[in-house]
Amino acid sequence: MSDRNRLFLTGLWLIVTLELRQRVRGVSWYVLLGVFMLLVGIVTFLLWLATSAWLSGGGGVFSTIIFFVLLLATLVSPALSGNAINGDRDIGTLATTQVTLISTGQLVLGKFLAAWITALAFLAAALPFLIFAVVLGEVSLGTITVSMLVLAAELGVIAAVGVGLSGILNRPLFSIVLTYLMVAALSLGTLIAFALLGTATQQEATSVNYQVVQSTYDQQTGKQSDIVCSTAQTSTYTVPRFDYFWWILAANPYVVVADAAPGSFDAGGRPTDLFGQIAVGVRSAQAAPELYTEYNGCDEAANGYADQQSGIGPTPQETYDGAVPSWFIGLFIHVLLGAGALAWAWRRTRTPATHLPAGSRIA
Amino acid sequence: MPSGIAVTGVSRSFGSVPALLDATVTVPAGSVTALIGPNGSGKTTLLLMLATLLTPDTGSIRINGHDPVTEPERVRAVMGWMPDTLGSWPSLSARVALQTTGRMYRMTGEQAAVRADALIALTDLGDFADRPSRVLSRGQKQRLSLARALVHSPGVLLLDEPASGLDPAARASLRQLLRRLAGEGAAILVSSHVLAELDEMADAAVYLADGRTASPEQVAAAGASARAWRIRSLDESALERALATPGVVGALVQVLGVDQLGTLVQVENEASAAALLHNLVLSGVPVCDFGPAVGNLEHTFLDLTRDRPARHSSVVVNPEVTP
Repeated sequence: MSDRNRLFLTGLWLIVTLELRQRVRGVSWYVLLGVFMLLVGIVTFLLWLATSAWLSGGGGVFSTIIFFVLLLATLVSPALSGNAINGDRDIGTLATTQVTLISTGQLVLGKFLAAWITALAFLAAALPFLIFAVVLGEVSLGTITVSMLVLAAELGVIAAVGVGLSGILNRPLFSIVLTYLMVAALSLGTLIAFALLGTATQQEATSVNYQVVQSTYDQQTGKQSDIVCSTAQTSTYTVPRFDYFWWILAANPYVVVADAAPGSFDAGGRPTDLFGQIAVGVRSAQAAPELYTEYNGCDEAANGYADQQSGIGPTPQETYDGAVPSWFIGLFIHVLLGAGALAWAWRRTRTPATHLPAGSRIA
Repeated sequence: MPSGIAVTGVSRSFGSVPALLDATVTVPAGSVTALIGPNGSGKTTLLLMLATLLTPDTGSIRINGHDPVTEPERVRAVMGWMPDTLGSWPSLSARVALQTTGRMYRMTGEQAAVRADALIALTDLGDFADRPSRVLSRGQKQRLSLARALVHSPGVLLLDEPASGLDPAARASLRQLLRRLAGEGAAILVSSHVLAELDEMADAAVYLADGRTASPEQVAAAGASARAWRIRSLDESALERALATPGVVGALVQVLGVDQLGTLVQVENEASAAALLHNLVLSGVPVCDFGPAVGNLEHTFLDLTRDRPARHSSVVVNPEVTP
């Protein structure tokens, strides 16, 4: 490693440790983690009961704990990271750091890493319960690694957005609230947008039916003859076009985590964990509804009821396998968002400053 | 080669609001210069630019020969800045804060620890060094802030209101410390409102008003202008009688009035002050106190700001010396 890189990393780590000492304040922080562990413990126990996990394996428990960590981290992380830079400016420690040999890059990256590490502490606190779920069985190594890695990445994105906004906006309260709104927009806003847009773009679908009005049934051959067929009976109804908007869901962090995990299905093709259920739901939205269906009862009557495949439809696993995975697009958008926020914060925090937004001060 | 601070024709505005119009300041190595000006005159803006935090719109700045805009890192390595806002990491103790700052200047942990201990002793923070800094008093925070500015033994020191909040003993030791650092070759720029104090420690003064530094000619004229002297006598009525006697008070002297501290007279220059004292003593007045009512810096400052437009009426002018 060159001298320059070593200097950069030493300074970066100094900022990370300083941030952790500053923000993760002793007792109250450990109380928070303790409460979190208690909650996860309760959730684990109830899930264990609810899913009969001692029989069906720990897939459901594992996936729900992962989501629970994501939920709790999204609720706590903005409050811890959303004032990283402008909060320092308010208490007057930003400028005194900037006049030292610490660069703006080290400052912004260090604060981001510290926020990320803080969020990862929640994952670490949930580890005993995740291990318990794995011990229950039926959780594949693929699911464990992929879901935990993607969860860690998502936590990093939230930390980056929080630190980024704290560098872009001047008022800590405002940047914290905006971080919460960003998280809410991704977690809930995508669901609302998907549901509203899908139902707002209703389309008319037509189904045409031919039915047997009268026939002679031969007891011996089991065939019908002299079939009198009805005229075409046309009915119309409207269907929502969710297939136009499924990509909106790809930006949802819960969907990203669920869709990324390798699907795990039982013998009947049904998903065995929450990841699978969500992924199947999202991927089934990719299929366009049939706008024209025709059912000819007379043909069937004449030719016999050969294959009854039309009635059952594909299994969830078939839907899952037949659709496009979307998690990497969502994750890519999220990483881009986080990196963009950090880059913007870096530009705004750089000194000597040429431009100062109205109403702000440096020190 | 240390050459101190050289600022030429610097201006800076925030949006459409000009903060600094034309500042020219020179602080040679080994000297203390006072930066004096009313509130809002641009002192802090100027110091922020010297501290590599803000770029000037026009003009040039050199800190030991380096430009803070193009070579901020070189400037930061030799420059110590004590801001007017006292920022400190609330949950860190003074000792850890100083060690952390040392590490930020790329000291090793050991070097930083040694330096922190030395600075705690120097700024007399020993009794509070291991308490979280949020429980420190204003004066203690002030000393911590000064210690932090000195962590890397800078050759150029920028101090924004360093004495506010300090008790008289701490002020005295601050004065001694700055004189010592200047003696060791540092270039020190101090802004303060406590003008009497700057009088005792500054080698030179820069007056900043309306975003402009006063020219040497203006300063010389203001310093030489008529000023108030205060006379106190053991026998106030004798003094009153003597001042009323024709011939005692010369043509260049004008009695301003009496306050609880003594009698104020306007004296044109030091020669007429000497003549007045001579006459008073000859008249048998028991004079026990005879001297300028305000210090040199304050006199110059007030004279330079006296005739400024009304929008600066917020400047506090000592009513005693307003004619």
